Amino acid sequence: MIVIVGASHRSSPLALREAIAFPRERLEEALALACQQPNVAEAMILSTCNRVEVYARTREEGAEPALVSFLCSFHGRDRDELAPFLYCLTGPHAVKHAFRVAASLDSMVIGEPQILGQVKEAYQVAEEAGTLGPTLGALRNRSLAAAKKARTETGIGRNAVSVSYVAVELARKIFGDLNDRSFVLVGTGKMSELAARHLVRSGARATVVGVRTLDRAENLAAVLGGRAVPLSALGEELTVADIVVSGTGAPGLVIRHEDVEQARRRARHGKPLFLIDIAVPRDIEPSVARLPGVFLYDMDALRVVAEANLRERRKEAIAAEAVLEREVRDFLDWEMSLDAVPLLVELRKRADEIRRGELERAKGRLGLTQEQEEALDAATSAIVNKILHPPTVYLKEIAKNGLASEHLGLVRKLLGL
Amino acid sequence: MSARFYLLPTLAFYTAGAVRVLIQALSRRKLLNSWTVGATLAGFALHTASLAQRWSEAGHFPAVGLHDGASFLAWAIMLVFLVTYVRTGLEALALAVYPAAFALVLVAGLAPVPESGAPILKGVFLPVHTTLAFFGYAALFVAFAMGMLYLIQEHELKSRSPRAFYYMVPSLERCDTISARSVAVGFGLLTLAIVTGVLWNHAARGRYWSWDAKEWSAILAWFIYVGLLFARYRTGWGGRRAAFLGIAGFVAVAFTFVWMMGLGSALTGVR
Repeated sequence: MIVIVGASHRSSPLALREAIAFPRERLEEALALACQQPNVAEAMILSTCNRVEVYARTREEGAEPALVSFLCSFHGRDRDELAPFLYCLTGPHAVKHAFRVAASLDSMVIGEPQILGQVKEAYQVAEEAGTLGPTLGALRNRSLAAAKKARTETGIGRNAVSVSYVAVELARKIFGDLNDRSFVLVGTGKMSELAARHLVRSGARATVVGVRTLDRAENLAAVLGGRAVPLSALGEELTVADIVVSGTGAPGLVIRHEDVEQARRRARHGKPLFLIDIAVPRDIEPSVARLPGVFLYDMDALRVVAEANLRERRKEAIAAEAVLEREVRDFLDWEMSLDAVPLLVELRKRADEIRRGELERAKGRLGLTQEQEEALDAATSAIVNKILHPPTVYLKEIAKNGLASEHLGLVRKLLGL
Repeated sequence: MSARFYLLPTLAFYTAGAVRVLIQALSRRKLLNSWTVGATLAGFALHTASLAQRWSEAGHFPAVGLHDGASFLAWAIMLVFLVTYVRTGLEALALAVYPAAFALVLVAGLAPVPESGAPILKGVFLPVHTTLAFFGYAALFVAFAMGMLYLIQEHELKSRSPRAFYYMVPSLERCDTISARSVAVGFGLLTLAIVTGVLWNHAARGRYWSWDAKEWSAILAWFIYVGLLFARYRTGWGGRRAAFLGIAGFVAVAFTFVWMMGLGSALTGVR
């Protein structure tokens, strides 16, 4: 049975997760210790800033307390201190949780792409430490595949939810392809640099306007693969730019209504102009938003879009849950069919023993040639296989349907095992 | 066999497509899937059969009168849409095309089937002129729809609080480009349709120009599109102004069509 013990951003404060986080260099040691707990056969540890979870396969039920005390003792914490923040999931609940975590449905930001890599790495470490057996190994394969499927079949990762990505996405909604679009970066702040990097990565060409000195603008232009101009050239740049990102620390307005109006009268033919004002206090006069073909977004507006996008993701999460639901059911079916495996092995072994015994006796009496012996061997093998085929299929079937434990006893008696 | 034999299932398939697109739009999922496209193709095949049936029944090209005209226009719009969809993967156009196809086929189904054609309907001019005109209308309808989507998306972006359309409608640039291409194609067809119409008029009535409202609105539309194309290609003008002109041009085109289908024949006789 699969068991998960841990704490996440939903169940616990950050301070607690910090206290029980597993540093990368101690993971092997922790995994080995976890596997020494009574009843624990396989273990994996997922430790990120939003969650710390120990995944285990246990041989029998009731191994959760051992895992909790392992978590406490490893970090030298008191059990009573941690217990209220920990969750223990077993069986189908644990499997579902593992699938949801990998698919980022349990993340703080639904659809965030990092968790998939983190989960992948956690399994990798467990594999290298030798604590990943067939069950957790299968959980890894199935949950990662399901996570990818949920991502491609639904829109959980589709719309940007961080402010700088939202700016790029809006630019795409206006200009389509950003290849060879030109953008003007006013000011060299950290936030505007981040947005500029995203734009350059999408193919746009940068012009950096130095507000007070040209030095920093020139440095940044070199990084962005663009050119630098002084503030006095801003009016000229506005006539050719498609996108303007402004993020200066200036106390007053840097781009005024009449600057934009004039630039548009001179050269723009009604083509869109996208202004992004990420400065506080703002750099661009808000009234320019009323000009036709001008789109102005300040920090608040970008956040509104980010929130709307997050709502879209939450809607998509419903569809993603349905995808996972199916995958979880498939996994549980597979896991249950494992119950029948020992019986099947035993059945085959017993049948083969009988076959060999009878074969030896017959050989002794008949005095056959090599060729005849081989033919007899093949014929008896075929008989055994054909007789055992229907019960094999049936046993796998009932195991899948969860009826194994009741029926397997009966089957044993019937077959004299 | 009745002319409506194939039209009814056609309507059923287009209705199913329209309802599906609407539901998908409201739940903000992908507008078209293989199910919808399959239903549309089935509807389109039946629609083609219905036009062929009408052609053989009427003894002339089936594009005269409200019944045949509406049906043929819906067919042309569907074909242009399907070609656009296959070539560009543009889904948002479905928001305009399905309601239009549904409404036109419904009108065709409700309109009386005309008895038999006048002598003017024989000959090569009717199929050539109407095919050019209707495919021109269909292309200009696409331009109109893309212009509307442009203005809707622009409004979404201006409002700074994205709602359903923000996610469904493509970028302004894409709306503008597809609208421009459709205008170029539609304008070419419209020009040829006007030329063949004038020649037909001369062949049938001995005069080039009949001074009726349909001709004037066609000419008005033609001039609007000339202005639009000139502004686009000579001065690099585009965006919202082009969208408005594309919409205005289509209003004139729609008037031409409505006059020709109903009003015109009611007031002045066939054609």
